[in-house]
Amino acid sequence: MSVAYVPVQWNRNKWYYDTVLILLVVLYLVTFLWLAPEVSEAARATNDAIQRMRATGSCAFLMLTVILCIGPLARLDRRFLPILYNRRHFGVLTACIAAAHLGFVLQWYYSFSPTDPWAALLGVNPAWDRAPGFAFEILGLFALLCLAILAATSHDFWLSFLSAPVWKRLHLLIYPAYAAVVGHVAFGAVQDQSNAAFAIVVAVSAFAVTSLHLAAHLRRHREPAANAQEGWERVCDASEIEEGLGRVHLLATGERVAVFRHKGAFSAISNACAHQNGPLGEGRIVWGCVTCPWHGFQYDVRTGRSPEPFTEKVPTYNLRLEGTEIWVEAAPNPPGTPTEAVPAP
Amino acid sequence: MREDALETAALIADLAAGWAWIGLAVALVFLVWGVDRVEPNTRGAYIFRALLIPGVVLVWPLVLRRWWVLERGADNWAARHRAVRRWHGPLWWVLGAVIAVTLVAALTLRDDRASAPGPERLEAPQ
Amino acid sequence: MTSQLPKGPGKDEFFIGFLAKWPKNLRSFLPLAALALLVLFPATAFLVGATQQDPGDGGFGGRAEVTGVLETLPYPLLRVTAETDRYPVGTTIILSGQGKRGAQDVAEPLAWQMVTVRGAALKRGDLDMIQLGRMEGLDAPAPRMMAPEQLGRWRLTGEICDGKCLSGAMKPGTGLSHKACANLCLIGGVPPVFVSTGPVEGEDFLLLAGSDGGPVDPSLLDLTGSLITIEGEIERRGTLLVFRTDPATLERAE
Repeated sequence: MSVAYVPVQWNRNKWYYDTVLILLVVLYLVTFLWLAPEVSEAARATNDAIQRMRATGSCAFLMLTVILCIGPLARLDRRFLPILYNRRHFGVLTACIAAAHLGFVLQWYYSFSPTDPWAALLGVNPAWDRAPGFAFEILGLFALLCLAILAATSHDFWLSFLSAPVWKRLHLLIYPAYAAVVGHVAFGAVQDQSNAAFAIVVAVSAFAVTSLHLAAHLRRHREPAANAQEGWERVCDASEIEEGLGRVHLLATGERVAVFRHKGAFSAISNACAHQNGPLGEGRIVWGCVTCPWHGFQYDVRTGRSPEPFTEKVPTYNLRLEGTEIWVEAAPNPPGTPTEAVPAP
Repeated sequence: MREDALETAALIADLAAGWAWIGLAVALVFLVWGVDRVEPNTRGAYIFRALLIPGVVLVWPLVLRRWWVLERGADNWAARHRAVRRWHGPLWWVLGAVIAVTLVAALTLRDDRASAPGPERLEAPQ
Repeated sequence: MTSQLPKGPGKDEFFIGFLAKWPKNLRSFLPLAALALLVLFPATAFLVGATQQDPGDGGFGGRAEVTGVLETLPYPLLRVTAETDRYPVGTTIILSGQGKRGAQDVAEPLAWQMVTVRGAALKRGDLDMIQLGRMEGLDAPAPRMMAPEQLGRWRLTGEICDGKCLSGAMKPGTGLSHKACANLCLIGGVPPVFVSTGPVEGEDFLLLAGSDGGPVDPSLLDLTGSLITIEGEIERRGTLLVFRTDPATLERAE
C-alpha cells in the first residue's frame, strides 16, 4: 500500500502479533530444551545437538500446522481474520526455525565426515521403496525449500511484481510442503521413536489441518448460476444490500464482482483486492472506501482507486437498475476507471 | 547403489549451486537496474532491496519472465484480478488422502522390536 | 486513532490491521486466542520433549592408553596384552578414527604387531572402542593369540549400526533418524556393529564381518537402522563376538 517500499510496514497490531510469535517460539524451545530434561532422564541423556534438532524440528512442525489452520478458520469464523493479517511474519519465522533444524542436523549427523554434507544429505539414504528406512530426509529438504521460497517472496513487492494470482499459485507450494513435512516426521521421528506422544501430536495436527481445509471448502458460499443477457447479469434485488456493505456476484466469466451500497447508491468493483486478491466484497465501507477484510487495503468504491498517496487500483464495473433489481455489465472497466453510482430505488 | 546415489547427489548439489550463482547474477542486475523500470514504488527505496535477494536467487527464471512481460508492457490487468480459488478444494481432497495414507503407512509399517524373534542357533560349531 | 465503523444489523464488527483500536467483539477473543497458543506451544514442547526414548547408556570415558596385538580383520581390533585400570588382559577393543572415519589406513602397516594405542575411550555395555589418537608400533614380539572360539551358525534379528555412534559417540546413536549418520560412518570406515534383539552368549552387540572374515558386503549397509534378520557364523575373540554374515540370507524382519 506504500508509495515507496520499506522492509516492514510496522504498526501496533504487527508489534503485538510478532511479540506473541516470538513468545511462542521462546516458550517452546525453553520448555523442550530446559524444562523437559528436568523431569526426563532420557531427555537429559540425549545429546544437546540432537535435543536442538528435535526441539527446532517439532517447533517448526507445530508452527506450520497452526499457520495452515488460520486460513480455513478465518473462512469459518471471521473473528480469526486478525490472525491472518500478519500471517506472513509467522511463515517467515517458521522458515527460520526449520532452517535452524536443518543447520543442527548438518552440523551433527552430516559433519565430521569425508563425504560432502550436501551430497550426503541428498544421497546417503536413497531408500524410496521401503518403510521403515524411507528417505525421509529428502521430504524435509523439499518442504524447507518450499518454505524458503515462500519466506523469500513474502514482501509486498513480490505481490505487485508477480501479480497476486501468480504469487498465490507460487504460495500454494505450502500445501505440498505440509504433506511432505508430515511424511518427513512420520517416516523419520515417528517411526524412530517407540513412544506414542509425538505420533499423536503429528496425527492430531495433520487431521486438524486437513479437516479444517475440507470443512472450509464444503462450507464455501455457492453462488447461484448467472442470469445473463447481452453482456449484463442480474446480481440481486437492491434491498438485499445493506448500507456500507457489499455483495459478491460470480460472473459467467468466472470472475467475481463486489457490489456495494454507499450513501444510498450502488457501485461495483472487482472482488479481488489488488494486493493479495482478498475478497473485497466481504469487507465494508470505512471512511468512504471499500476496505479489504484481509489487510485493510482501501479503494474508492466509485473509482476503484486507493486514496492518495497510495496507488493501488482495481477494475470497476458498470451497474444499472431494472425496477428494483441490480444488473452488472460482465465486462470490467480497466482498473481505476470512474463509474456513475446508481441511486437506490 | 550407494556410490551411484552419492554421485547423483553431488551432481544435484552442484546444479543447485549453479542455480544460485545464476540467481545472484540476476539479482544484481535486476535490483540495481531493472527493478526501477518495472516497479515505480521501488524508486528511492534501497534498503528493502536486500530483502529481495534471496527471492530472486530462488526463483530467478520467474523474475526474468515477469521482468520481460512488464518491460514489454504486456501485463494483462484483468489477469491480476482473477483470484486463485478454484484449486483449494480439489487440492485438499488429494492432499488429505496423501497425508492419511502416509500416516497410516508410517504407523503400521513399523519395526516391532519388542516382539521380534531372539537369536537362534542353527548349527553347533564344527 | 479511532475508527468509525459503520454498524450493520446482524453483522459482526470489522478488524482493520493498521487501526490501533479493535472492534468490541475481538477485544476478548484475540487475547484468548493468543493465550490458547501460548499454552499450546509449551504444552506440546513438554509432551514431546519429556517423552523421548532413552538413548541408552554408553559414552566417552576419557583418555585411554593401552598396549596389545593389532588385528585388522574384519576391522582394526586391539587384543589387550598388558592390563590397565580400564582394560583387563584379553579385552578386545574396536578401533576407529577421528570423526566418521575408520582406522584401517593407520592400522594396516602394523597388522599383527604389538602396538600402543592412545585415544578417547568409548564404552557401551561390553562393547569397547577407542577413537584413535596415536598408534605406535612396539619393538617387541607379538604373543600368539588364542584362536577364536567358534560358536556355530546363528540366525539373528536386530539392527545394523556404526560401532562408534552406538557405543556412545552419539546419544542416541541408533535408529532411523540416525540412519544417514550411520551410513556416513560406515562409508568412512567405522566398524559396523549388530545390535541383537536378544543376547548371544551374553552379548547384545556383535562386530559385523563378511562371510570371508573381511569387511562386510556393502549391500548390507543400505539397511542400517531397520530391523533385519541375517544368518552367519559367530566367533568369540577375547571379549568381542564377531558375526561373519552371509548377505544372501539378509531379510527385513517381519
